[in-house]
Amino acid sequence: MSIDNEIGAPRCVVGRRQLIAQLRTVLPPHCLLIEEEELRPYECDGLTAYRQLPSLVALPENEAQAQAALEICAALNAPVVPRGAATGLSGGAMPHRDGVVVSLAKLKRIVKLDPLARTAVVQPGVRNLAVSEAAAPYGLYYAPDPSSQIACTIGGNVAENSGGVHCLKYGLTVHNVLRVRGLTVDGEIVEFGNAALDAPGYDLLALMNGSEGMLALITEVTVKLTPKPELAQVVLASFDEVTKAGDAVAGIIAAGIIPAGLEMMDKKATHAVEPYVNAGYDMDAEAILLCESDGTPEEVAEEIARMKAVLEHSGASGIRVSQNEAERLKFWAGRKAAFPAVGRITPDYLCMDGTIPRKNLARMLVAIAEMEVRYGLRCANVFHAGDGNLHPLIMYDANVPGQLDLATAFGAEILELSVELGGTITGEHGVGIEKIGQMCAQFSPDELDLFRRLKRAFDPGGLLNPGKAIPAAARCREYRLTRGAAPLAGSVR
Amino acid sequence: MQTHLADFIEGTPEGREADTILRSCVHCGFCTATCPTYQLLGDELDGPRGRIYLIKQMLEGRPVSRLTQVHLDRCLSCRSCETTCPSGVNYHRLLDIGRGVVERCVPRPMAEKAMRFLLREALPRPWLFGAAVKLGRWMRPLLPPALADKVPATPGEGAGAWPKAAAHKRRMIVLAGCVQPALAPDTNAAAARVLDKLGIALFEAAGAGCCGALRYHLDAHERALADMRRLIDAWWPHVDSEQFGGIEAIVMTASGCGAHVRDFGALLGHDPVYAGKAARISALTRDISEVLDAEREGLAALLGEAGAGTGPEVSFHSPCTLQHGQKVRGVVESLLAVAGYRLSPVAGAHLCCGSAGTYSITQPALSTRLRDNKLAALGAGSPAVFATANVGCQTHLQSGTATPVRHWIELIDERLNG
Amino acid sequence: MSGHGASSLAHWAERIRAAAAGRSHLRLRGGGSKDFYGCGPDAGNPDTLGTRDYAGIVAYEPTELVVTARCGTPLAELEAVLAEQGQSLAFEPPHFGSEATVGGCVAAGLSGPRRAQAGALRDFVLGVKMLDGNGDLLTFGGQVMKNVAGYDVPRLLAGSLGTLGLIAEVSLKVLPLPVAEHTLRFELAQQEALDLLNRWGGRPLPISASAWRGDALHVRFSGAAAAVGAAANSLVGLGGQPVAAAEASAFWHSLREQTHAFFAGDAPLWRLAVPSTTPVLAVDGMRSDAQLVEWGGAQRWLRGEGDHAAAIRALATEAGGHATLFRGDAATRASSGAFQPLSAPLLRLHRNLKAAFDPRGVFNPGRLYPEF
Ligand SMILES: Cc1cc2nc3c(=O)[nH]c(=O)nc-3n(C[C@H](O)[C@H](O)[C@H](O)COP(=O)(O)OP(=O)(O)OC[C@H]3O[C@@H](n4cnc5c(N)ncnc54)[C@H](O)[C@@H]3O)c2cc1C
Ligand code: SF4
Ligand code: SF4
Repeated sequence: MSIDNEIGAPRCVVGRRQLIAQLRTVLPPHCLLIEEEELRPYECDGLTAYRQLPSLVALPENEAQAQAALEICAALNAPVVPRGAATGLSGGAMPHRDGVVVSLAKLKRIVKLDPLARTAVVQPGVRNLAVSEAAAPYGLYYAPDPSSQIACTIGGNVAENSGGVHCLKYGLTVHNVLRVRGLTVDGEIVEFGNAALDAPGYDLLALMNGSEGMLALITEVTVKLTPKPELAQVVLASFDEVTKAGDAVAGIIAAGIIPAGLEMMDKKATHAVEPYVNAGYDMDAEAILLCESDGTPEEVAEEIARMKAVLEHSGASGIRVSQNEAERLKFWAGRKAAFPAVGRITPDYLCMDGTIPRKNLARMLVAIAEMEVRYGLRCANVFHAGDGNLHPLIMYDANVPGQLDLATAFGAEILELSVELGGTITGEHGVGIEKIGQMCAQFSPDELDLFRRLKRAFDPGGLLNPGKAIPAAARCREYRLTRGAAPLAGSVR
Repeated sequence: MQTHLADFIEGTPEGREADTILRSCVHCGFCTATCPTYQLLGDELDGPRGRIYLIKQMLEGRPVSRLTQVHLDRCLSCRSCETTCPSGVNYHRLLDIGRGVVERCVPRPMAEKAMRFLLREALPRPWLFGAAVKLGRWMRPLLPPALADKVPATPGEGAGAWPKAAAHKRRMIVLAGCVQPALAPDTNAAAARVLDKLGIALFEAAGAGCCGALRYHLDAHERALADMRRLIDAWWPHVDSEQFGGIEAIVMTASGCGAHVRDFGALLGHDPVYAGKAARISALTRDISEVLDAEREGLAALLGEAGAGTGPEVSFHSPCTLQHGQKVRGVVESLLAVAGYRLSPVAGAHLCCGSAGTYSITQPALSTRLRDNKLAALGAGSPAVFATANVGCQTHLQSGTATPVRHWIELIDERLNG
Repeated sequence: MSGHGASSLAHWAERIRAAAAGRSHLRLRGGGSKDFYGCGPDAGNPDTLGTRDYAGIVAYEPTELVVTARCGTPLAELEAVLAEQGQSLAFEPPHFGSEATVGGCVAAGLSGPRRAQAGALRDFVLGVKMLDGNGDLLTFGGQVMKNVAGYDVPRLLAGSLGTLGLIAEVSLKVLPLPVAEHTLRFELAQQEALDLLNRWGGRPLPISASAWRGDALHVRFSGAAAAVGAAANSLVGLGGQPVAAAEASAFWHSLREQTHAFFAGDAPLWRLAVPSTTPVLAVDGMRSDAQLVEWGGAQRWLRGEGDHAAAIRALATEAGGHATLFRGDAATRASSGAFQPLSAPLLRLHRNLKAAFDPRGVFNPGRLYPEF
């Protein structure tokens, strides 16, 4: 048996007028958007290639309003699409045609910061960076630092299990969250985890991380704060061949080093970013690596020396070490602005998110270069190299007919190769609407069916963010027909 | 982003410019994080990315109404979003184009029309505005709060003496501006005294008047362009002529004017007569902080003992037109430090104080919230004085605090000449 | 490595389907080292399905920091193989006996002394191969560090005590062994120790374990030699006495394996997870010195004869945490439940999840909560 919850599946079409009338009783006038003119800017998230005008947008100002809105939606069988800052890159917050987008952006209070216990209780609309800024006076910070940290929200981070440039050493969102408070689809308040460690029962806290807004609406999060290291320094290494940089990454890990950050950018990426940050990247290098070490000054000195040795051995053509905190931040600023900075050299891009074993990095890079030629599109490469997490940025022009399709096919090929090389189609951006087809490649029908049953355990009516992340069985049948692909990975049978 | 501009604008110079800007936006949302109105309101429509989208759909020919206008009106034009944008989106130009289109398509309610008319007509005329301030001070108790706050309760201290003219070979023009002579009459005189010590003569050109920024931001684009041409005409003889000995720079002591004058080249780029002159004027324009920065050594020498970190504590509000508009960052702070002031740190330094030209009058509620947030941030370290670099910010901030708000050049002047 | 891998999986799938069809139950069991843990394993008179035969390390590439092993692999064997390569399971899972298997370790979800610093077992689970209640063999997660394709089933299985499915194979993240370790001992009362631990927690010190017991606080530092030395030196001034390496290692081992004298005897053993800043806990009628504190104050072990379940649970809840009857006689476990009761919405979600994974309720009925 399978449950189809995707867009287009038959569902009771909601009486929009009734929905508006009822929502008006629980939301102030400026917190409910109903006219197309106001709804249009909500039609997509950071992935503009996929757009859908929502039926309505609700902007609750507190948990009670969110709860009341959810109850109404459940009663009227209206889909609900949670939304944070809409920086998502997989279309996770793309609206549903008959649904209500529930934006949590107005819930942006840091409820409590306890420096002694090293925790912060925050509302879901609080920006990732705002948590670290609030913790800074106590020598603490919130470790997961997605490149979008200036803007993305904690609610969105939990929903995507976001990673950052420092998550190799400090973990992903799931490793840094103690408690999630949320609303079930019918508006019931539920707490996953608590202020202590390892809550009893199933690890629903872990399950909430990466659940893409499909299991509950997050209304409060308790995060763990980490003491700032005494010192952090970055080594900036240049390479005259991309594959050498890829090998250097594997080499560093093989040497038993777990750098605080290990990132890679190729020439196209550094050239896009340098005019914005003036970080002083080597413009002649085919690829650069950023390797960070942190800890006590003695520890950092020792580790940097070891990293330099590996980098030199791998054929680095130049090595620089950040000389002060300002320079270190500049080096990272360039990396963190890399995606949008690529907007300077192309009107549009698709950002892929496959993750592969590190040893295959060089192989993947060669394959991508070959695809660039075959598809006739350029691709800049920005990697969370230490985790084997790739972000190829496929450049295209949406105004040229056919280019989006080409770019999409290019991306699909990268993702399928990721699976083939022993990896996954998404490391941190989520499946959303974008990679829902490739889910059929990564998982068997039985596995997908378990996902659907799991979803139904939380949301029997399939109202929370329908059509995302978990493909319907029919879609996969079609996918396999058109791509002629058997499941690439998955079960031994 | 994908675009399909509608016939009414596609192919026009404005349309082409708008299309390029729209397509350079990749919709990453970084800019929402530093947008003052999005941070207050949390609605996509009140942030840059949403406004870009509103403008996009309007230029693509979808119906536009008051709903769009309201959100564009709420924009402060502070350009914080531009500083944040890694993709280099030229937001303020797109906004200007978008506002122009809305203004043509969407009628405003009467009361709003009247208010905007008044601002447009009165503020840019120094004689009228000066009189109004005097009158306003007298009538203050009777004015509605939105306006009463804008009228200083006590007259600013009168202009101190200008240094004796002409002794120096190095010469620069300073813009008198429209509201500054009435609200902060000593600013230019202080700048002149400081430059005098550095061997530079500063003078105001006759017949200059308003730079046009006020009208431009009230969407009276044609009237604004007329202001700008008049200003160019007033300056041109000094810029061009041997007879006046030529000038090194056009100095701005109000960063709001500076940002606008720096845009003359772009704004008059399509004007066959004025394009070249406008570009020249823009190129000559300097904020007073940039001028002083170039004279840093001379200044340090003059300050001598005074520069030993012994001065009073001050917190500096960098106007948006300085840090985002003209991209001058950290310069004033370091000059104040050279002059011995101790700077107290200011949280959210990138955020607008809510003055934003006439915003404090057109959007009093938002403006007041921004002002109060800014005053709280400035006051966190309890400094004796707040400094800023634009007359608009200065009077706006002053309306909410007893701590004196001064133009920073006056503080430098005090250390030099006091 | 067992050459009969595929056939034993097929055989198990058969047994699961038969049980599902016949509405009977299966008790999943590895080495039995954690039989004491959870609610009585005997609800519903299950047949036992032992997993020890399905053993062996399937893949281990030290440079990828991942090891994949079958469920029946002895935990000791896995750790020995990792140690040869200078790596380890950083969460220091307790074995509680030489029979402990990898599958049982993951299903129990327990972590040792390093948990506060390195993370919990579930933080290291990257992928699983499992048999669900329909006897379907399913794979979730993988061998890479980051993976958000689909729901995080691997982490959900960690600590599920075999109630959701049979973990057939698991991929775990491994880390290099610390280059240096050093333990200091301080004479301190419990509250003083808690205060210090929390203050140290806010500093970037390489503390990898801590334990307070009987007026002595032990603190272990791990990491680069330079860092450990510097950190330890900075705290010696506070009265820290260095503990000899062998003695220190025996001490931490005795905590991890609960062979320390504190754990001897039959009195019920309670584990309280509370915010680390929670002041010293006091339960009416329990001896206040029968306590052991770990994880920087976040884990408190309490011992005492008699039925204190209600008081202890209330105390834990009040502090913002929860209490587990970790070891106790069958009667107490039956009457109080091993784990803190769930709120109504959580219990509903648990039941629904159980039904999603194991629709016929084949696996370990009642082992986690009597309700399912
Ligand atoms: C330039 C750029 C760089 C990026 N870099 C990284 C990176 O380094 N690492 C990384 O992991 N990601 C990165 N991302 C992706 C994105 O920023 C993250 O996925 C982020 O966590 C999304 O947060 P958001 O608040 O924008 O969520 P949204 O995009 O609004 O939503 C994301 C998903 O979460 C759901 N959701 C949002 N809020 C809630 C809630 N309160 N309750 C339930 N569900 C909710 C939505 O329904 C949607 O499915 C990047 C994006 C951009 C544009
Ligand atoms: S930061 Fe720039 S590219 Fe990103 S949404 Fe804002 S304007 Fe567009
Ligand atoms: S100019 Fe200022 S107020 Fe307007 S959108 Fe940009 S940041 Fe926001």
